[in-house]
Order: sequence, then structure tokens, then C-alpha cells
Amino acid sequence: MPASRPSSDLILDRLASSDGQIKLKAIRQLKNHIIGNRTKKLSYIKLGAVPAVAATLADFDSDPNLIVQSAAALGSFACGLDAGVRAVLDAGAFPHLIRLLSASDDKVVDAAARSLRMIYQSKLAPKYDFFKEENLEFLLLLLKSENESLSALGASIIIHSCETGEEQNILCYAGVLDKLISLLYGSLSQRDASLESIAAIVKNNSEAVSKFVDLRGGRALSPVIELSKDKYSRTRLLACLCLICVKNASSCHLQDTGIKTKLINILLELLDDSGQVGDEAPFAFLSLIAEKEDLQKLAFEGNAIDKFYNHLQDCPSHPKRLEGIFLALADLCSKLECCRSKFLSLQMLNLLVDALTHYDANVRTAACICLKSVSRSIKNLSVGYFMNERIVIPLVRLLSDPSTSVQVAALGAISNIVVDFTAHKSVFIQCGGIKELVQLTKSMDPSLRLNAVWALRNMVFLADKMCKEGIFMELTVSSVASLICDPEPSIQEQALALVRNVVDGCMDCVEYAFAEEGIILDAVGRQIRKSSKTEILIQGMYVLSNVASGNEFHKEAIMKLLFPPAENGSRSFFCQFLHSSDSRLRTSAVWVIVNLTFPASPGAFGRIVELRKFGVVSQIKRMANDSCMDVKLRARHALGQIITFGDS
Amino acid sequence: MPVRVLVESSTPSQVSGANSGHTSFQACTLLGIGQAFSGTQNVSSLQKDEAWRVNVRIQGCDLEHGYLCGTMEALNVPMADTPVVTFWEGEIVDTKNYTFFTGKWEATPEDDIRHWTKFQSFSPLMGQVEVDGGKSLDLSNYPYIFMRWKEQYFVNVGTDCGLTIAGFYYVCFSCSDGSISGFYYDPNSRFSSFSYCPFQKLELKSTNDGRSGFSFPSYELQ
Repeated sequence: MPASRPSSDLILDRLASSDGQIKLKAIRQLKNHIIGNRTKKLSYIKLGAVPAVAATLADFDSDPNLIVQSAAALGSFACGLDAGVRAVLDAGAFPHLIRLLSASDDKVVDAAARSLRMIYQSKLAPKYDFFKEENLEFLLLLLKSENESLSALGASIIIHSCETGEEQNILCYAGVLDKLISLLYGSLSQRDASLESIAAIVKNNSEAVSKFVDLRGGRALSPVIELSKDKYSRTRLLACLCLICVKNASSCHLQDTGIKTKLINILLELLDDSGQVGDEAPFAFLSLIAEKEDLQKLAFEGNAIDKFYNHLQDCPSHPKRLEGIFLALADLCSKLECCRSKFLSLQMLNLLVDALTHYDANVRTAACICLKSVSRSIKNLSVGYFMNERIVIPLVRLLSDPSTSVQVAALGAISNIVVDFTAHKSVFIQCGGIKELVQLTKSMDPSLRLNAVWALRNMVFLADKMCKEGIFMELTVSSVASLICDPEPSIQEQALALVRNVVDGCMDCVEYAFAEEGIILDAVGRQIRKSSKTEILIQGMYVLSNVASGNEFHKEAIMKLLFPPAENGSRSFFCQFLHSSDSRLRTSAVWVIVNLTFPASPGAFGRIVELRKFGVVSQIKRMANDSCMDVKLRARHALGQIITFGDS
Repeated sequence: MPVRVLVESSTPSQVSGANSGHTSFQACTLLGIGQAFSGTQNVSSLQKDEAWRVNVRIQGCDLEHGYLCGTMEALNVPMADTPVVTFWEGEIVDTKNYTFFTGKWEATPEDDIRHWTKFQSFSPLMGQVEVDGGKSLDLSNYPYIFMRWKEQYFVNVGTDCGLTIAGFYYVCFSCSDGSISGFYYDPNSRFSSFSYCPFQKLELKSTNDGRSGFSFPSYELQ
């Protein structure tokens, strides 16, 4: 006959018993109940079981068996559950567990160490202060210990608490790395903990990397490389992550193509793991190839895109894995056209579009970031490949997503897609995209404002007059003027670039700068006098240059803006731009002069007289031998035009 | 710009060799994104004189990788009802990413030199190019930019339009005035073969949409 299960309350009663045997049995039962069961852990935490168990540790006279079971139960509560860690810490068990590490009974020491390792896996665990001498000594003792649980605990403490460069350095100088290398030859848990600890110590720290690789006669990397081929997938992943940290922190290690290719292949194979390792593999892959064109090329040659495609197609993945795969694909496609072509040829865009409506916000964000990378392909933008309702409708919907990171990522993708060189920009307008973008230019969040203005700037690039008119009606002249004067310099820059594009194209478009008594042009004038950021000044100069390529009225307006009658021209801010150390700013400023002195315009002579008076002509003459070829040629062009009116 | 289909087209093979250590290539605003050019391509044969009106627009530029791309529109193509637009990709001869030697598209170094020498501005470089394709030249301050433009696809017509884009252009851009000269080369087309007709010459000038000056739009991909 099966025995009936004791109820939770019954266990709690027995936990409070003064009879050691009853108590021991109750703790065992409790431990068995909660192992791997999040719901039961939470329900026992709620019933107050944790303080009852923790009390056993405080009793110095407790039976060692009871202590072992209590420590194990507390470790179980803490394992993978922050609420459990919080309950164990609140019950005051942490210092008792530390004390028990020095107990005479090996089983007690082992149980306490295991329990503490569970706690140190959580961010809630108290930070270990490596700067206290006694703490550092204790850590070294742990790492040196023959007891596997103690040495692995030492490594767990490092993984948890080593964050800053100072902490990394103090551990290096204390000889911790050498101890960790020894652990690489130990048990599975020691190896894994050691790999993670070494990664924590060398991450972004070239000095620590140098110290590490020089150990063991310069062969410290060998066991790590060996472990990247280990039979356990988690060990392989951790070994790869450790090697990636070494490689990313220092440009002189692990640079040969062989090891790079191996790392790529191992990480791609780890995708086959159906558990946590497979979920984490794309993120490790990402940290290996991010911003590195050579590695992206190697990954492409290793068929990384096909492999990711197979995984996306095969099964409905865990959101974490989906997010990782889309982010990895985003990086792969960020620079290389061959990767984008492969992505598109595999019809992966369909899977990506599905992910735009995924229930998990991180997946939606990752899908947008991936689309942003893929849509850097001018070859495809040129035929309006991305400008269709299947892509644009879900993207525009994401502009009102509750998550700001989704909105920002969607804006990033839209910024690229709207560059579209065909006449398909209307698709975006018909999908209500402009309304949403304009709305976001008024957001309180600067990243949303910036990306919305950026998208509008790209949308207006080579757009026809109707498209510009639609955008201007929605955005309003006064909003454009406000955006030019936004508190954020990056937004000022994009707003000026937007105006630069608006006044480009047919001659009529120049008039937008003069709408509502010229408040936009006034804002441009104010900003270029005020700003010290070169990028802003360059965009400002191109606004003026584009306007100055208009008719007489437009050219005269630019003259007045640059050289107001009340100011002394020789001290004009404009002359400082001609003297700038940045050749791009000098070039843009000279283009303004080229347009103001355009020979076919009737007022050119009068303007040249003025420019001469303000010292601009003599400055342009000096620039005819500028070190930058573009500046030199533009200056000579301007001089050629000026000379047609006489050189006096 | 496409030409009439006469012979089977060829498949491009390898990219040119690259070296490092040169001064970075400088941007020329007249060859920037959004800039437009117009002119003609001479497609005369022994039978008759013919020139097609051509418009070009720069759509993308990545100097770090020696890359340029855009569209080419041929306006009065006899067998086409509408202007024919093609998308092309360009290799900038910056001696870092690309040298004067094409190394693909069935162009031998002799073909290369025969075409480059058609440009007057190439003559000072000739000696070195014959030695190493120009690998050791520093062209970062040279007032001419040499490129190869290869049409990749038709934008507005199908591949059955009776035209081919199998060849490519040797191009020379003048940084001073923004003028472009080019010669079409297709080893499989007798129209581009020297024994039958002169080089098909492309001649373009910078345009300004009827403005009294130069205007510069811009976009920035994220």
C-alpha cells in the first residue's frame, strides 16, 4: 500500500520538533520535495520553512547529519531562484555557512561549500571584498584545497565578485590565476568553475591576459584550448568563452586563422545542444565576431548563416535562443554584403518578419536589429527590396510597442529601409509610417527622438516634392526648428541633415527653408554659431550650401545669415570654419562660397565684393593649396568663378 | 548602361589583390552619394553613328572598401519602350582594395592597360602600373579617380529585354569638375572589340537639377 505524503504543514511542524531524528527526517523530506521544483520552493518559502532550517545551522550542538541536510536544503532553495537566495540570506544562514567551511567534519564542510556555491550563482549574494587581506588569503586557501567543493566555491566567488579592473589585477598579483590553471585539470565542476573564473579575471584586461598566458612557461592557454574539445558541451562553451575573453582583450594572442575557425566551428556545433548551452552559444558566437570583419568572413565561409537558418527552421526555439540567433545574424550581416546576400537568398526574411511579432520583447528587438543589418545592402535598397507591406506594416506597428528598446530597434531598421531609391517610399507613407515617426520626434526619450529624426532624414533623401510636402505637413515647420535646437547634439545633427535633404532636389524645395518667416533658417543660423561639434557644423554648412544653390533671393539670404550687417566680417564664425582643422568642415564651407559666387547668377559680382571685404576671398586664395585635395579643388573652383569678375 | 546582346555573357571570377600601408583614400564631394551625372555613351558601329543619352546617380559609397554603386539610365535605347535602368557596383582603384589589374571578368592585364591608356590622366602612372598593377602607387591625392563599374542587374526591365550587361566599364573621374569618362569592355561582344568598332565611350558631366550651384543630399545607414 502506498504511504500518504506528509503535507507541507506537517513537515513544518516536524521542523520545529525538539527531537533530532524527527527534525532530520523532516529536513530530508523537505529537501526531496523542493529539488528542481520552483513552485514548491516558493510555497515553502512562503510558509517560512527557510528560517526553520537555517536555525539548525546556528545551533553549535546540532548533529552533523542534521547540519549536512540543512545546508543541502538551503542550497536547494537558493539554486536558480533569487527568491530562495533572498530567503536564505534573510534567515541569516550565510555567515553560518561560511563558519562551517572550517568545521572538522568533511561532510559538513562539503555541504556548506555546495550550498554557498548555489548562493554565489545569484547576483543577490553579498559581494566578496578581495581588497581585505584576510579575504584574499581565505580565497587562496579555498582554491588550494584538496576538497573539490571548496576549490570550486573559491572559483564561484571570483565569478560572482570579480568585476572591476582593480579586482582583476589584485587577483592576478595574488597568484590566483596559477591556482585556477591547476583546477583546469580537476573534476568537471572544478574545470567549469575555473574556466569561468579565468574569463572573469582577464575580461577586457590586457595586462591580466599577458600575466595569464605567460604562466606555466607560456603554456597556460593549452589546457583551455584542450577543454574547448571536451566531451561536455558546457565545458566546451566555457572554454570558448574564456578564449574569446583572452582574444578580445589582447590583440597579440589567438590571432591565427586556425584557432579562430575552430572557435567558430565549436560554437556553431554547440547550437545542436537542446538545453541552456545551445541557448547561450549564439551569444558567445556574437562576442567572438562582433565588429570584426575578418571573423565574420570566416564565419560566413564556415556556413554559419546556413546553420543558423537550419536552427531557426527546425524547431520553435526558446526565446533566449531566438534572440541570440537573430543578434548573431545581425552581426554577421553588419558589414559583409556576401552575408546579406546569403541571408536573403535563404528566404530568412520570412522567419525574421515572423519574429517581429513574437511575444517576447527581446526577440522582437533582436529581429529588428537583424533587419537593420540586412537592410544595409544598397544593392537591395536600390530596387526597394525591403519596402513592401509584409515588412513595413509590422515594423510600423512596433513604433508603438510598449518596450522602448523594441521601438528604438524598429526605428533603426526603418531608417535604413526608407533610404529606398525607387518610387516605393509611398508604401511607408500609406502604412501610416510618417505619422508614427513624427509622433516619436516629440518623445521625451532622446533615443526615440534621435532615431525618429534619423529615419525622417533618410526618408527625405532624394524624395520627390510630394513626399517632402507630406512629411512637412505632418512634422510642421516649428517642430523642425525646435529639433534643430534640441538639447541633444546628435538630434541637432540629424535635424540639420533632414533640412539639408529637404532643400535638395528641385528648386521649389529650397522654399521650405523660408516657410513661416524663415524660422528654420534662423534656427540653422543660431545653431551653427552656437555649436562646437564639427558634425553639426558640417550639416549646417550643407544646409546653407544647398540653399545657396537656389535663386538670387536664396543666395542673398545666405549672405545675410553669414555676414549680418551689424557684425565685423573678419571675425565672422564662417571664417573660422574655413580655418577649421577638419577638412570636411572646410570643404562644406567652401561649397557655400562656390554657390554664392556661381557666375550665371546676376548678384554674383555684388556678393564677391562683399566676400572680399570680409576677407573671405583672400582666405579662399590661401586654401587653393590646402593639404586636402577636395578643399583645394573646391577653393580653386571658387577662385575661378571669382576671377571671371576681375581680380581686384 | 546595357548594350545589345550579341554573344553569351561571362561569369566574374576572383577579386583583385590588395595591400596595405597606403594613405587612406580621400573623399571627393562631387562623387558623393546622391550626386547625378548625365551625358552620352557612344555605341557607334561601322554601319552607323549612334549615341545613347545616359544618366547616372551615385547611391552608395564605402571608401574603406573601395566600393561605389549607383544606377545608370539609358534614355534612347532603340529596342526599348522605356528608359532602361541598371544597377552597377564600382571598384575604386585605390591600390589598397583594388589595383589597375582587373583580374576577373575576362580582362587580362593587357586589356586593362589598353583601356586605361585611353585616359590622358593615366599616362603618369603607366610605368608603375606595368610593373605591379599600381600596387605601390599612392593615389590618395591624385586629382583623378579610376574605377571599374560593373552592372549587376536591370532595375526596371527583365533580362529578356534583348540587352546585355555582361561587360564592365573602365572609368576615370575628374575630381576638379566632376566629369566622368568611361570605356565599355565586354570580351564576348564584338561591339567592344577593337577590330570592329572604336571603344564605346561614356562621357558624363556633373548635373545640378537646374540649380545655380551644387546641392548635396545625404543619408546615413544605421
